[in-house]
Amino acid sequence: MPKPVAEDYQSRPQKPDDFDAFWEGVQHQAAAIPLEPAFVPDPLRSSAEIEVFQVFYTSLDQVRVAAWYCRPTRRSARTPAILYTPGYQMDPPIPKEWAAKGYCALSVAPRGKLRSMQQFNPGYPNLLTYNITDRHTYAYRGFYMDAWRGIDVLLACPEVDPERLGVTGTSQGGGLTITTAAMRSEVRAAAAGAPYLCGYMDAIALTHTYPYEEINDYIRAHPASRQAVESTLAYFDGINFADRITCPIIVNIGLQDNVCPPETGYALFRNIRSADKRLYAYDGHGHDAGRVRHAPIVDRFFAQHLLSGR
Amino acid sequence: MAQIPSDFHVYWQQTHDALAVYPACPEVEVLPMRSTEFATLYRVRLTSVGPYRLSAYLSIPVGSGPFPAIYYTPKYQSVLEIIPQGTANLQRSRYITLALASRGQRTSDTPYAAMFPGLLTDGITQAATYPFRGIVADSVRGLSYLLTRPELDATRVLVVGNDLALITAALQPGATHVVSTPALFYDTIALAAQTTAYPLEEINDYLRAFPAHTEAVRQTLSYYDLRAFAPRVTAHALLMAGAPGSLLSATTLAPLEAALHGQVTMHDSEQSNYKDGLYSEQWMAAQCGITDVQAILPEHWRS
Repeated sequence: MPKPVAEDYQSRPQKPDDFDAFWEGVQHQAAAIPLEPAFVPDPLRSSAEIEVFQVFYTSLDQVRVAAWYCRPTRRSARTPAILYTPGYQMDPPIPKEWAAKGYCALSVAPRGKLRSMQQFNPGYPNLLTYNITDRHTYAYRGFYMDAWRGIDVLLACPEVDPERLGVTGTSQGGGLTITTAAMRSEVRAAAAGAPYLCGYMDAIALTHTYPYEEINDYIRAHPASRQAVESTLAYFDGINFADRITCPIIVNIGLQDNVCPPETGYALFRNIRSADKRLYAYDGHGHDAGRVRHAPIVDRFFAQHLLSGR
Repeated sequence: MAQIPSDFHVYWQQTHDALAVYPACPEVEVLPMRSTEFATLYRVRLTSVGPYRLSAYLSIPVGSGPFPAIYYTPKYQSVLEIIPQGTANLQRSRYITLALASRGQRTSDTPYAAMFPGLLTDGITQAATYPFRGIVADSVRGLSYLLTRPELDATRVLVVGNDLALITAALQPGATHVVSTPALFYDTIALAAQTTAYPLEEINDYLRAFPAHTEAVRQTLSYYDLRAFAPRVTAHALLMAGAPGSLLSATTLAPLEAALHGQVTMHDSEQSNYKDGLYSEQWMAAQCGITDVQAILPEHWRS
């Protein structure tokens, strides 16, 4: 049997003193850029039950970002909505399954992803370390903002109830769920699976698998840059965003996760400020984080917070 | 199952012949950033049918070989990984690994950039020009290139991937073992009708939009059904089935298991990528005579 995981694992990176100021500055820059959302019907992917749109919007640095939007054809005038955030290597899916459950759903493809790579394409592997010594140009500065702006896209949809927005994803999508819930007060419920981008510098010591291994590769090639890397990543670490989360949130982790070390999941969970939070730790599971067993829990969680009582 | 086309073997022989027109012309370049004290990583460029220039990652262990090899056939995604996400980097200390981006995937996306979803039904009504015909040729080219490496122990060559792993092992001699997780080309139309999940949902989308094309789609897919390739697979195969009751369960795959020519091991998914991943890592190591598999597992999988 694998060794037990230290639930009291202490994450090493400290939150920079100017963390909030840094992100306020980035948000200020983004706020000056018009969203300019475009919704293009996709008849090939649409059915009698679900309408599918290709979506495009503008984000930081004027990068045009793609997304998929699905909505139930039979819906109320104000429908709850889910923002779905993608994994590191996955191609963003068409979120029909969420529409089938009664939500409007936006699946974002932040910069560098397929359909969002015309202006920014560092590739894979490479995204994780692209400009990693400079927080002002690090890849995830724009990447995070692209995900957060998905909330603005949903708010631009007249059929979406702005009081019933949720966010979810696993792996990188779990990390983006954390930062989105932290930075967008409109989010009413969040479900993060196997969160990546939380405890970066911890993870590269706890595991030697890609994608985190990209950082070890970089530091091995540029040993003098280690301090700069650590400094940058402290601004992007989901653990440092967690104390801004106040909405109801559930987090699931796998205790044999070979991609996102479960120790970092525990450290993240402790830092989440919300009083309404619950951790599901699945023994015998890896990066799937108990997905099959956990999926009904996520469904019930969002149904309770977004679907019910309206 | 759809009838195996009478010209099935002709179709694939023509593909093979078209590939043979173009030599691989490999270019091999060291990638220092991804090289370690235990393995050197190379970017390899190869020519395939078309002609079409492909990209791949080749990792060679440090030390004197020969080494067993894992050939990771192209996945159904845009991204090319050096080794699959979550695999211990130390796997590269014991095995040669080759991961190929077929046409349409990143780093092999000029001039053809595939969409995901989208690739599965792109041009699907024309078997002669269906993009997967080229993709299969690409995958075959990758394995044939791997077999030329002087560091290789030709008695231990694993081909690992989805449907393409089995198809490649069927069309290109040299694989001693194959690990396949069928996803795309097993009774495709029938299974698509039972799911709303991508990638098979692409078939449903397409047939809903173009119902008159159903027979043409069925005809094209008949050249790709794994059961038609199975009699040509002589390598020892590990079939990674879905969980009991799932779409691609061992029960569903039983006809494939029966049709494979070589020895077959079927593994039922335990719906845990830790348990399933550990099983396949241990299976591969055992087949290759690697006795200290613990040393090349991810940290959180080690006992």
